[in-house]
Amino acid sequence: MSLSLYLIAFIISAAIFIAGIYVGALLDEGDVQTLSSDVSSLSRQLTTVQLLLLMDENSSAFCPVYESELSAIDDERERLGYELSFLEEKRNIDAPELKKEYFILEAQSHLLSKKLKDLCDVESVLVLYFYSNENCSECGQQGVDILAARDTVASSGIDVRIYSFDGDLGSPIADAFVNEYDIREYPSVVIEDRVHSGYIPKEELVEEFTK
Amino acid sequence: MELIEFLNYCVAFFTVYTTVFFLLLFLKYRNSYYAEPEWKGQTPLVSVVIPAYNEEKQIEKCIDSILKLDYPLEKLDIIVVDDGSTDSTLAKSKEYEGKGVRIFTKENKGKGAALNYGIERAKGGLVVTMDADSYVTPGVLKKLIPNFDNPRVMAATPAVKIAPSGKAMREFQRIEYLMILFSRKLLSYIDAVPVTPGPFSIFRKKVFDEVGLFDENNLVEDQEIALRIQAHNYLIRSSVSSMATVYTEPPDNIRDLLKQRVRWQRGGVRNYWKYKYMIRNEFGDFGLFFIPLNFATLGAFFIVLGLLLNALFSNPYYTRYIIAESIVMSINMFTVIGIFVLIASFVWLYVAITSFRTEKVKLRYLLLFMLFYWYLMLGHNVLMTLAELRRAKCVW
Repeated sequence: MSLSLYLIAFIISAAIFIAGIYVGALLDEGDVQTLSSDVSSLSRQLTTVQLLLLMDENSSAFCPVYESELSAIDDERERLGYELSFLEEKRNIDAPELKKEYFILEAQSHLLSKKLKDLCDVESVLVLYFYSNENCSECGQQGVDILAARDTVASSGIDVRIYSFDGDLGSPIADAFVNEYDIREYPSVVIEDRVHSGYIPKEELVEEFTK
Repeated sequence: MELIEFLNYCVAFFTVYTTVFFLLLFLKYRNSYYAEPEWKGQTPLVSVVIPAYNEEKQIEKCIDSILKLDYPLEKLDIIVVDDGSTDSTLAKSKEYEGKGVRIFTKENKGKGAALNYGIERAKGGLVVTMDADSYVTPGVLKKLIPNFDNPRVMAATPAVKIAPSGKAMREFQRIEYLMILFSRKLLSYIDAVPVTPGPFSIFRKKVFDEVGLFDENNLVEDQEIALRIQAHNYLIRSSVSSMATVYTEPPDNIRDLLKQRVRWQRGGVRNYWKYKYMIRNEFGDFGLFFIPLNFATLGAFFIVLGLLLNALFSNPYYTRYIIAESIVMSINMFTVIGIFVLIASFVWLYVAITSFRTEKVKLRYLLLFMLFYWYLMLGHNVLMTLAELRRAKCVW
């Protein structure tokens, strides 16, 4: 056996492999940084809307502006959420700090939407979805069902806004929401302040959304 | 580490390693690629055994090319074994009777049995097996015979090629044959030639006394005999010289092509399994590298297939809202390694094709081959598995 050839091939392959891992790590880092800067930018946009609202808390004169701003922010927030989940699930990238930042964004967005709902009479259904990445076998399916139910009711013109929180991440803001709604198991879904503990199938979600 | 991630790493490393190893092998031996033992005027008696079953379209071209070999006719013992053909193969062959060609006919029992029938009647010290759908260039014998100066060499294989045609199907198979030929030559440097192809492989007749005749029930009997020769620690040499070219007729439609490839693959896996005991030091590179490589390649194929299916069908629901983003975000370490392997494969293919100075292949066929045909042909592994699972009858 020409051992030296096998050995040289092994060394070269290992070098290529290590280079691949290094470039892969750079790509991972780059993706997390991009998401992180997107979250920061969105956070600034939200703060701006918040400030506008604080300037004249009880006037509905700026409702159209608030609505369009928040709607755009919500779309972007959702996209970031999906991207964050994609990195976590498909690329095995763990970025707990970024997730915590994102949950703050979700909390801000949810509170603003709730406020605008009262002030501007916005016809949207606010949904809080509590899940756990650690001990929850039904959470994956629940996430799918919530989105599918939202897609179903969207054709009837019902606007559902979903805010998801990982209850086991150790995020102070997520914990505050968990305490606020007395969430004791995962998955749990809060639809317009009505708490549903445990898994709810898509059909029931559709009913709840259309109530 | 999750199992899927671990398998990903294993396949990635295996692919990189195999690609690098073969490229290094070529670099090491590039200067001796065409260096083959010289003909010193030796003209031993050579028997050419041509098994033929329903080959009325090709048989005359085949026999004519043998008769035109640059070799004394009196030193050729040409044997046509009609394997119970139902067409005019026998009648057409009989026209050559008395012109140095012996014709036999027997009931149809398959190619292996027909070859053995001919070998048992061969008079030469060297025996050539010749597919009836192939034809040779005149210099092939003089190119291959000098390999037998080495007493350990028991077989020598020619440069089996497909003649250029301009038809896509044929051109893809032509590229494939050139790649196989290139690989076989490189494997000969580590004494790991795994096949003695049907068209014009030469054997020392005594090898059949030592290792036995062709396995008549084997799906790829030309591979099995080569493995048996390797198992006896004899050598097989491979030529890439244009002077040692043998042209063969490939399947001309996808159905026949897949049928042929599934047969090769089924037979191949069964043969390697049969000779798995050769994974031992005494069988050198063939035992310690080539046989495990075959099992690993098959394993890697199924792992990749599983990973692809998993990636396709386990996509989270939300990816429908971020289709473009998810494609971009899927670029990771494996993509980087995959790109390297893709580039290395293209270099490999390009080097393989350009190593044959007399073969010209159009770039568009090369690109289509690499981007589509190559991967399409990997599908025969799936068909092979399905055939094995439903215990399909093994027919030649």
